[in-house]
Amino acid sequence: MPLVRKTDKGKPRSEANPAEVLKALTQGTQDERWAAARAAAVIAGGVQALATALRTENDSRVREAMFTSLTRIGTPEAVSAILPLLREDDASLRTNALDALRTIPAAVREHLPVLLNDEDADVRILSCELVRGLPTEEATTLLGALLTREPEANVCSAAVDVLAEVGGPSVLPALDACAARFSETPFLRFALKIARDRILSQSSDIHD
Amino acid sequence: MTEFPALTEDEFRKLCDFLYRRTGMVFNEPKRYYVERRVVERMLATSSASFTDYFKRLRADSAGEMERFVNAFTVNETYFNREDHQLKCLTSDLIPQRLRHKKPGELLRLWSVPCSTGEEPYSVALWLLENWPLVDDYEIEIVGSDIDTQVLEAARAGIYGKRALMRLPPSLIDKYFAQLDEQSWQIIAELRESVRFTQVNIVDEEQTRPHGRFDIIFCRNVLIYFDDAARRVAAENLYENLLPGGFICLGHAESMSRISALFDVARFEEAIVYQRPAYQGGSRGE
Ligand SMILES: C[S@@+](CC[C@H](N)C(=O)[O-])C[C@H]1O[C@@H](n2cnc3c(N)ncnc32)[C@H](O)[C@@H]1O
Repeated sequence: MPLVRKTDKGKPRSEANPAEVLKALTQGTQDERWAAARAAAVIAGGVQALATALRTENDSRVREAMFTSLTRIGTPEAVSAILPLLREDDASLRTNALDALRTIPAAVREHLPVLLNDEDADVRILSCELVRGLPTEEATTLLGALLTREPEANVCSAAVDVLAEVGGPSVLPALDACAARFSETPFLRFALKIARDRILSQSSDIHD
Repeated sequence: MTEFPALTEDEFRKLCDFLYRRTGMVFNEPKRYYVERRVVERMLATSSASFTDYFKRLRADSAGEMERFVNAFTVNETYFNREDHQLKCLTSDLIPQRLRHKKPGELLRLWSVPCSTGEEPYSVALWLLENWPLVDDYEIEIVGSDIDTQVLEAARAGIYGKRALMRLPPSLIDKYFAQLDEQSWQIIAELRESVRFTQVNIVDEEQTRPHGRFDIIFCRNVLIYFDDAARRVAAENLYENLLPGGFICLGHAESMSRISALFDVARFEEAIVYQRPAYQGGSRGE
């Protein structure tokens, strides 16, 4: 039989030295930065170091590992380190931050009312995506409130996309109010109509 | 079935959270019945007077309760030649690509994780013996790993019923199994010895790392039980367990692109799999 039985080949990891990890995070080779990004999840000072390193890291894989470590840490401090990155000009950094936040809906939840009111419309759009992970009632309340005040059609459109999927019937008046405000914006009116139909049909399914 | 009262909401949450932190598996309200049934079983088995009593025992891991608790919660459904299009892809594309970097006689490492009761790694072994003409020219190591120690024991024993064997042609069953009785067949000793079984928790890098690096990983039908956060940790761990240029195959309902951007998508005629870029994490062109 040609298939072989082998003995264990792997070697256990030597304990990481915290000072070395923090240094490698910005100064190491790509491999060292990757390893440091992962190790930083379990060492003191990891959050600050990761947050700083993220701003200069240009390798997308190392970046992903940095975000994962921050979400693994998951403390309010770690979440607060990710949130400002939603504002970055670098689109890939922004989406990486969004993807990371999406994996920890429970920790992000308390920040959403503020994020959905952010002065930057792009941040408001990304934040609508984060609402997708919340329970229906909460998502409906948050995005319903946004629809009644939001001046930008693109932001409303992002909210409506999410509502079409997770919204409950109590958001219908907010959809109508939004439709009235944006009566001159055909793409939004269309999206609102689809969302309205979908929410109505879903709620009638439930009551059948 | 029991005189134990149902878990309170708080107890239920505590328990699911405990399980999640240790395994990555997510259980929520719709799974309450599944969870409660197993907790009650474990409470009876440990003669715990109340949930609080049991939870204390679990947290202290007294008499190895942690392991038994995890074993009770895993979903171990599997069978031979599951998703065999990936086996076809293995010999038509994945192995030939990996061999471009190897000399004859060099080691090719394959990892079935999670392997449950062993059907998957044994299917790989059988498939290679039957379908890969070069099988004698290379050293092939097949490792099967799972978090559940009970399924690993069953995998080592290699005894299967009709349901597990359903997709294997009778000629292969005759060739590679010994019938024990009406209902059960044991895979022959040579094959049992060709797969090494180990315990691993794929969301714990301290446990994945010692397994070393592989050419091809099968990680099928486990990420569906995780949430996105645990999926990402598992993806990063397994990325480290791949040689640069190595491949990872997921189950049909799982997509790496929705979890992580670490891997490249590799499309072949028989299957879509994911690849650790060849230039990353090692010498170029390794
Ligand atoms: C449905 S089986 C999949 C078996 C096989 N790969 C297949 O596709 O047929 C899922 C297995 O995942 C294992 N599992 C669950 N969480 C795990 C973890 N964190 N690490 C390793 N294995 C895990 C379970 O014990 C179970 O045996």
